Amino acid sequence: MRLIVQAKKFKIVVLLVLIINSTLITADNTKSLKANSDTDIALVELGKRLFFDKRLSGDSSIACSDCHQPQHGFTHNSPLSPGYPGNKHFRNAPTLINTALKTRWFHDGRIATNLNDVVREMLTEDYIMNMDMRLMQERLKQDPIYPTLFDQAGLGEPSNGGVRKALPAFLASLTSLQNAYDTDELTVQAKQGKKLFFGKAGCSQCHRGILFTDELPHNTGVPENLSVFLDPLRHQAFLAFNMFMGVSDYMSLKRDVGAHVLTHKADGSDREQFITPTLKELKYTAPYMHNGVFNTLNEVISFYNKGGGKDRNLDKRIKPLNLTKVEQKSLVAFLESLSSPTNVAKQYSDLKQQYSYHLIEKWQEKVN
Amino acid sequence: MKRLKYLWFKVATFTLLLLWAQQVLFQQAKASQFPPLSPLGKVPEPNDNKTTEQKVALGKLLFFDGRLGGDGSTACASCHVPEMGWDWPGKLSLGYPGTIHWRNAQTIINAAYYDKLFWAGSAKSLEGQARSAAKGAVAGNGEDDIMEARLALIPEYREQFKKVFGDEWPKINNAWNAIAAFERTLIQTDTPLDRFLIGDKAALTTEQIAGKKLFEGKAGCIQCHNGALASDQSYHNVGVPPSSEWLTNPLAQITMRYELYAKGINEQQYRHTKADPGAYFRTKHSAMKGKFRTPSLRYTLYTAPYMHNGELADLKEVINFYDRGGFTKDGRTTAYPATKSQLIKPLGLTKKEKQQLLLFLKAFSGEKITIERPKLPAYQPLFSKNELKEAKK
Repeated sequence: MRLIVQAKKFKIVVLLVLIINSTLITADNTKSLKANSDTDIALVELGKRLFFDKRLSGDSSIACSDCHQPQHGFTHNSPLSPGYPGNKHFRNAPTLINTALKTRWFHDGRIATNLNDVVREMLTEDYIMNMDMRLMQERLKQDPIYPTLFDQAGLGEPSNGGVRKALPAFLASLTSLQNAYDTDELTVQAKQGKKLFFGKAGCSQCHRGILFTDELPHNTGVPENLSVFLDPLRHQAFLAFNMFMGVSDYMSLKRDVGAHVLTHKADGSDREQFITPTLKELKYTAPYMHNGVFNTLNEVISFYNKGGGKDRNLDKRIKPLNLTKVEQKSLVAFLESLSSPTNVAKQYSDLKQQYSYHLIEKWQEKVN
Repeated sequence: MKRLKYLWFKVATFTLLLLWAQQVLFQQAKASQFPPLSPLGKVPEPNDNKTTEQKVALGKLLFFDGRLGGDGSTACASCHVPEMGWDWPGKLSLGYPGTIHWRNAQTIINAAYYDKLFWAGSAKSLEGQARSAAKGAVAGNGEDDIMEARLALIPEYREQFKKVFGDEWPKINNAWNAIAAFERTLIQTDTPLDRFLIGDKAALTTEQIAGKKLFEGKAGCIQCHNGALASDQSYHNVGVPPSSEWLTNPLAQITMRYELYAKGINEQQYRHTKADPGAYFRTKHSAMKGKFRTPSLRYTLYTAPYMHNGELADLKEVINFYDRGGFTKDGRTTAYPATKSQLIKPLGLTKKEKQQLLLFLKAFSGEKITIERPKLPAYQPLFSKNELKEAKK
């Protein structure tokens, strides 16, 4: 809960929390907040339905939830995300839990405005959902339920702008539950891990703040996931992406250039840098790293213990740690304490929505 | 009194005679004022995309390759099906998965002779048509970058693009060039009508010759279906009613609204338009509402159903439609009466005349053209595992 309360700028989250903890607010405030809250709840409900709707992709075959699966902590349990049919994705799907608290998104950090822009990119990119949002809004108008949901959420009729408000609202509702770290109920082992995390192991140099990330790009020498280049279906998405991002040598790339797509340094010193991921909820989000090369937290810690990977631009902070087996184990215990005791996403696992279109009768007489 | 009556009779007879003469003269004038039906001749070829054998071979592969599209499922050949007249047999075209298109797919055969493509003439070349179709959200839904990336990962394409266009890596625009070159080979210039026109008088039956006379005279078809292509390549509202699919198919209702929205019209029109505005989208001029480019009559024997939205099931219905003055059997007609062509009037054709016209229409088509579907080349990784392993970070 500490995490949520700190995130004051996220109005919706805060409002939702206030509704839940209505004892915290005065009677006078309740009224005005309540009015807003009904709309906000409706907005979240709308976003939730959209999140699971396959018709938000160009060929109506995949929903947001296909790559960000609730049962896997809103990630996908394969190293690389499936992506749009006809090709596959070239990176690991990051968790959406707490994503509303981030200030920049994607493993390369290419968007640093807001979730509205992130949602637009996810919906329209040809290797992700390949949706023409003008078509999307007409699809939603044809649904027997959406017009009401949009209206209740104060968005008027279904529109692409409305989708880009409702999905972020839903994402904002996906926040961590209280964990052992938040409540200061760490086991002895985890406490030792905490000491290492903030001390000898040096993790907190990059993994800091409420989300345990500095949200900055670093080169830790993560081994390349060769499937990106060996599977033409992934490689084509990788090529299209780098072409689009203006990386001039995209055809000869044998490495994911990461944040270079943004900074384009001529000397290449910005290549293979990736944004520090959050450590929250990582119990549910394996495999790890931007390309999913590590299956377990043990592997991740063993990787850093050896001083990361090989790279000419390896971050100076990455050095062999000389942790003992016991120390490594306590570090894992600490990392696990940063996850909710139960999967936040569990409540969405059983969500079964019915999606259909309805025929507009007497169409000639109706207003479009 | 009797004399006066006789005079009246004389005046009336004379007037009628005069009117008849005028009509005959007008009909003749009408026939001669339009380019006559003629053999098709050599296929036009743009200067910047000359046809070569290798280019055609590459274009043929690409025509059948769904990887030029969004999810790999929808090739040119998906809606322009060779075995089905090189078009789609439904009223409205197939469309990208999750959608249905909003217009009838036209045959590719002889498309090379048009100077503008699509029902509203929105593409100026076959090259442009291929690009638009591959990228449209309710057609191919492809995007340049991913389509180009896919071509680069198919060694056979890399090789052929290099040979044909000299590109180190395949360029997506050259894919459209190759497809267009392939389409320029899909022509039919030896129909019974062509043979008749170049002097083989036995190429048409007596009935068909009578039909030709009707075509050029009483039925007035020649007014729009003229020249070598049997199309004036101009835009007319002949009275085709709005698509009946829009009354029964939710997907069709979605696409209809999407097209209105995507093609950029004002709010008022978006809310109230219930019929395809056709060429209006290109000019935004109300005189263009409901107008569509005259289609060629060549190869039509294999391309049912007819009209821009496939509302007429067969050629018989087409003839009856025009005979009724642009009305379907159930009395439906255009939703844009203000722009309906003055040329379209009830024709008063007899049953026999209709039959003759129908037989003549068949003379615009020769043998069915089919093709052996090519085996498509496969993806191959660009780098070997060793090359990747050796690459320094």
